[in-house]
Amino acid sequence: MKKFLSLSVSVILGVTFCFIVWVVAAHDYQWELIQPYWGNLFSGWLTTLGISVAALCLSVVIASVLTAGQLSEYRVPRLLSRVYVEFIRGTPLLAQILIGYYMIADSIGWDSRFGVGVVILSGFSGAYLAEIFRGGVESVSSSQWLSARAIGLTEGQTYRHIIIPQAVRRVLPASAGQFANLIKDSSLLFVISVHEFTMQAREVNANTYAAFEAYIPMIVGYLLLTFPISLLSRYLEKRFHYEH
Amino acid sequence: MSIEINDLCKRYGATQAVDSVTAKFGDDDQVVALIGPSGGGKSTLLRLLGGLEPPDSGSVVLDGASLPIEEEALRHFRMGNGFLFQSFNLFPHLKAIQNISLPLVKVHGWAADDAEARAREIAERFGLEEHLEKSPGQLSGGQQQRIALARAVAHRPGLLFLDEPTSALDPEMKAEVLDLIEELRLSGQRIVLSTHEMGFAKRSSDKVLFLSGGRCLEVGESSAVFGNPVSKELRDFLAKVMKW
Repeated sequence: MKKFLSLSVSVILGVTFCFIVWVVAAHDYQWELIQPYWGNLFSGWLTTLGISVAALCLSVVIASVLTAGQLSEYRVPRLLSRVYVEFIRGTPLLAQILIGYYMIADSIGWDSRFGVGVVILSGFSGAYLAEIFRGGVESVSSSQWLSARAIGLTEGQTYRHIIIPQAVRRVLPASAGQFANLIKDSSLLFVISVHEFTMQAREVNANTYAAFEAYIPMIVGYLLLTFPISLLSRYLEKRFHYEH
Repeated sequence: MSIEINDLCKRYGATQAVDSVTAKFGDDDQVVALIGPSGGGKSTLLRLLGGLEPPDSGSVVLDGASLPIEEEALRHFRMGNGFLFQSFNLFPHLKAIQNISLPLVKVHGWAADDAEARAREIAERFGLEEHLEKSPGQLSGGQQQRIALARAVAHRPGLLFLDEPTSALDPEMKAEVLDLIEELRLSGQRIVLSTHEMGFAKRSSDKVLFLSGGRCLEVGESSAVFGNPVSKELRDFLAKVMKW
């Protein structure tokens, strides 16, 4: 049964892959159609890169604050962090972008689409990262806390020297996945007219009707952003590895 | 070492782990052993004495000074002593030598070089030189416990608390660790330990406290407690543990 299952999965995946390769390969490419738009695509890619790097950094800060809030011994920060995380994770990013830009940013007179986009994405990704971070910290055995207490480390020193170094390694794979999601999610910022990569590719397609020529570079461009994150995560996992 | 335990109580949920324990040990009592059945309250009493947990009621006076209640004062109390756990509780992300030197640097404010020198000195005394660069996961249980013991005594603690130091070890490793504890005793180290090693408790301790069901049923000179048990519980307990 197991053999049959794995065989059928291989066949289905193989056929699907061949079909996609055939569709892509059989297309009659006319790269000259998008020739005038390479600059636009590249500027879109750079915008996505910029948004992603900024949002990645800010989301780590937001997630760290939320994690500290959730692990706080006081009720109010615990409750506020919990409500925030549940609200963000329970509503669509698209709705958050629209509300964040047209209602909140507008009401305080902030009209930088790039800036607002970065903040909204960071707030969104930060909520997911916070759950990953919290899980990582809580997964460190309570005996480590006991041992640190016995030695005389303060709570801050225990986090810094004992808990966080062990938690970091455990949260790396899930965090890398979340960072890749953040890059892909940035494509939704087209709804507030941020000229990021997906929006540029859509415009190229709209102007040239050359869907393949517009979207294949787009896919490659996203992979160029997400793949290094995956590689870096693996490298760091190895670096922080220790025997149990 | 003088220890006065007055009507000490600690409850976990529905379990009265330590129930009105009162006992007094004088300056001549260099080694005090807590014995009794598993779940009888030995570890809890040891943690209360070591300042790792606050009691629900009652008090402890060590060398004339009351055990503090406030956390920062308790931390200073713990800094002056050493604590060893049954399950070693080494920090798995740090090398053996860092496990010994980290508290010296971060808690006791030693220079890194001095801390490393001290770690090497004590490791040599404990026969651990060749294992210093390994991480805990690469060491046997006995080696891990000896590193943990080195960590607990590196700062020359006033009192050394040992919580069933050999319970998780096989017989050969038990002997290695007991040899070291005996060596520490001979060098004048004051020790309070909970143990299932009746031979060791009988031979090496000055006073013995028998705990069962959280209550102190007998306390006195080691020779008297083992030679002339009064309570039925202690007689039954000794008959069981001495049988094989």
